[in-house]
Amino acid sequence: MSDSLKQALDLSLFWEYRGILLQGLVFNALVFLCAAVLALSAGLGAALMRVNHFFPTRLIGTLHVELFRNAPDYIMLVWVHFVLPLLIGIVIRRRVEFHPFVSAVIALGLVYSGYFAETFRAGIEAIPLGNLDAARAFGMSERLILWRIMLPQVVRRMLPEALNQFVSLFKATTIVSLIAVPDLMYAVSMVTQQEMRPLPLYTGAALTYFLIILMFASGVRAFSERWRRKILA
Amino acid sequence: MSMGNWERLVWNQRDALIAGFAVTVEVCVIAFAAAIVGGLILCLVRLYVAPLRPIAIVLIEFFRDTPIFVQLMWVSYVWPELFGFPGSFFSAGWLALGLQSSGYLAETFRTGIEGVPRGQREAAFSAGMSPAQTFSRIVMPQVVLATAPSIVNQFTVIVKSSTLVSVITVPDLMSQSQRLVNIWYEPIEILTTTAGIYILFVFLVSSAGKFLADHLRRRYGLVAYS
Repeated sequence: MSDSLKQALDLSLFWEYRGILLQGLVFNALVFLCAAVLALSAGLGAALMRVNHFFPTRLIGTLHVELFRNAPDYIMLVWVHFVLPLLIGIVIRRRVEFHPFVSAVIALGLVYSGYFAETFRAGIEAIPLGNLDAARAFGMSERLILWRIMLPQVVRRMLPEALNQFVSLFKATTIVSLIAVPDLMYAVSMVTQQEMRPLPLYTGAALTYFLIILMFASGVRAFSERWRRKILA
Repeated sequence: MSMGNWERLVWNQRDALIAGFAVTVEVCVIAFAAAIVGGLILCLVRLYVAPLRPIAIVLIEFFRDTPIFVQLMWVSYVWPELFGFPGSFFSAGWLALGLQSSGYLAETFRTGIEGVPRGQREAAFSAGMSPAQTFSRIVMPQVVLATAPSIVNQFTVIVKSSTLVSVITVPDLMSQSQRLVNIWYEPIEILTTTAGIYILFVFLVSSAGKFLADHLRRRYGLVAYS
């Protein structure tokens, strides 16, 4: 027990491979950034559809949200990687394959667009209707109303919640190793196969992710509290 | 992609899929029970056992801020050598899922307990109730009512994360469906069906949670924490 404890806490093996592992972490960050952009834009689109007056549009928005919010990340990842290219291939009658990185971004982006859509919608619905009427009375176009009246208020209200979702999205990026995106977990499993010493490697990975996420999450918590007091009070 | 494919790949394999779904439900229910017990213990220690408070806080933060996949691998491959358990991948699966959710539930319970006005406790004490009676008769019923929706929501999180136990060879729905894909290399029908089952299951559970929240709000006039 004390021997294996010493081994688990002896992170020199983890340190020895820091080059590869750090490269893996960069991949986590890249997947996170691309998926975040996709999730935000698709989420905003879905939210705007959900508050539309036209029923079919609203229905599509609702379906989008319910589908992706209730889908486990992992099955979406596998589905996008192995099924979506085949379906596209059937439609355009050509063989299609997705790079694992692309599949990871699409899958995580779509899943989190469902969550972001709900956050956006809550923000949109909190805007007093009078604001929109006033803007229309001034002759502002719908697009201008969106950018100048709605989004500034929506972003202000949804910021704390959105930051929390960014933290969740970053956590979710750890599963992309399962379709062979060379992220930190992938690097860890490769090195483990070579060295046959899972103890220090998985412990090191757990600690690394924990510290990064703890830093972000507590930053977000502190920020949200200040933000709620100052801006939303 | 004809109907024949659906029959051959999905309907004729329904036994495997059903068996997988049963394992998924089993893992999730055990993990959920473990999370409620663990979360309650962590929360009570954090609130009422001053000397152990730092340990409880570190554990809660560690469980919440480590990605579930990383925790799953850590519990499956490091714990057996470090602590001598869990002895099987099945128990590693529910243990990792339970640990993560216990961190979240501990914070949910804490919000609930802190939401009960202090005066009620003082009133209970002055009416001659013991601290244990006060906790179980005054505080806890309100906490359970107020946090019920978030507790149900945590179950959906467990179901979603449970897909990952297939990685450590637990024969859940995800694992069965990937096994079937690897036999015929025809993923469209099987994976789509599997995705559909998961989405429907999570949708039903979270709808039940919402229904519960509305019901509680109407019946008891409580504002639910979510």
